[in-house]
Amino acid sequence: MRRLATRLQYFLRTALQGLRASPMTSVIAVATIGVTLLLVGAFVLLVSNMERLLDRFGEDILVSAYLEAGLSDQEQRALVDRVAGAPGVESVRLVSEEEAIQRFREGSAGQASLLEGLDENPLPASLEITLTPESRSSQGLAILVAALEGLGGIDELGYGTEWVEGYARAMALIRAIGIGIGAVLALATLLIVSNTIRLAVYARREEIEILRLVGAGRGFVSIPFLVEGFIQGSLGGIFAVVLLYGFFRTLLPGLEGGLELLLGFAKPVFIGAEGMLALIVAGAALGTLGSGLALFEGSER
Amino acid sequence: MRARGVDPAQPGAGALVRLFHVSKSYLAGSWALRDVSVELEKGEFVFLTGPSGAGKTTLMRLIFAAERPSEGQIIVLGRNVGRLGPSGIPALRRRIGVVFQDFKLLPRRTVEENVALALEVLGTPRRQVRGKVFGMLKRVGLQHRRFHHPLSLSGGEQQRLAIARALVNEPEILLADEPTGNLDAELTLEIMDLLVGAATRGTAVFVATHDAVLIERYGKRTVRLEDGRITEDIPGARGLP
Repeated sequence: MRRLATRLQYFLRTALQGLRASPMTSVIAVATIGVTLLLVGAFVLLVSNMERLLDRFGEDILVSAYLEAGLSDQEQRALVDRVAGAPGVESVRLVSEEEAIQRFREGSAGQASLLEGLDENPLPASLEITLTPESRSSQGLAILVAALEGLGGIDELGYGTEWVEGYARAMALIRAIGIGIGAVLALATLLIVSNTIRLAVYARREEIEILRLVGAGRGFVSIPFLVEGFIQGSLGGIFAVVLLYGFFRTLLPGLEGGLELLLGFAKPVFIGAEGMLALIVAGAALGTLGSGLALFEGSER
Repeated sequence: MRARGVDPAQPGAGALVRLFHVSKSYLAGSWALRDVSVELEKGEFVFLTGPSGAGKTTLMRLIFAAERPSEGQIIVLGRNVGRLGPSGIPALRRRIGVVFQDFKLLPRRTVEENVALALEVLGTPRRQVRGKVFGMLKRVGLQHRRFHHPLSLSGGEQQRLAIARALVNEPEILLADEPTGNLDAELTLEIMDLLVGAATRGTAVFVATHDAVLIERYGKRTVRLEDGRITEDIPGARGLP
């Protein structure tokens, strides 16, 4: 136990000594990790905001079920309950005949003449059905439509298949691009970071050789370097979060006009606490892994 | 009189190092060492001499497993060096002190930290490390320089630092490659006294040198290498220091 404490003390002390001994190399490693993670973070920020935007569009996907004329209030309410239980339904709202004509009047101001001369309300009551996020696809829509068609009391269904298909395609595209570019960025980051750290380890190969000659085992030699990589990586991650937040705060106000046009009313949101933590953890992991790779390469003898 | 040759059927009882028909070749057809058999007992002090390029350094490197023999067997502290695995080599080296010809000091660590390293690889608690390191630095006359870095030391001081690191953990075997090469006459004697003292305490000491005056003065057993072969193995004269 005491021996372990002595060891841990040694590893931490030696790692800090290593960082202090070559401040320039350490700063470059931290900056490299920070900047590459900044790119990853900026990309995650962009994709997450686009997904949020598409989610909002998705909420607008509506299926209208026009009811047969002459249903009693009780029958209409029973139908609402049955539709609410259909697959993929998020919410059901009953639009009465009166509300329908009211909406029509509001929506066609100046063309009130269209309704003149009608003795009775020609518009049917309807149900406005929104879909759960998972069902916002043409398959989800088809399943719901099939279920609704089996129900009595519904005269006609109205829905925009093309709109739904377009939405689903856009969502899939964003995800695919996200995963693709994200993977490339992550790989590039790992390569850059391991290369930077490899140079640092290479600069200290003599030290490693001497440690081996005085009888240091593999762990004794490598752990301080791994701790160093871990510290550099964590600092790089923190640096990336700070930079990303700085850019988000300073650059965004200038772009707000254009973004509003593009994003509608969705205000861009910064990556959450988990996102920030993920960047820092990714930095720490990259730093440690980079050191590990560099050491593994140098320890073939 | 002790038998000098190595007889595999009758291993020396206290032999810490045994080389048995060892050859080492770095390039096909050229031999750095050829058919060398020698043994070193507990508490024995042996000079290894011969012209430059005779194989002195190679012989030492074989003993602490920096090289593997091309032929023959090397038994160090009861272990067959040629068959040591990746964890066996560091374990062996922790029991051997080595003074390298080029010192091999860590330039970015202080004098004190360089010496402490040999104890830290053993997992010695920090408080004990401090005491032992200070005592050792005092013995080599470097205690006032303990917070300096090796590059700010003179050649002689660096050499004493290398010796301090090799001796601080009281190794069972001490290998010293030209340990007095950079020292003046007075310091040479002080350092030699340290090395002889280690042998008196039971360490097997192997000192490579081509300083004939030194060899004559101490009258210890002397193994002479020429062209990779042992040409002479002269027993020490008894009664001399």
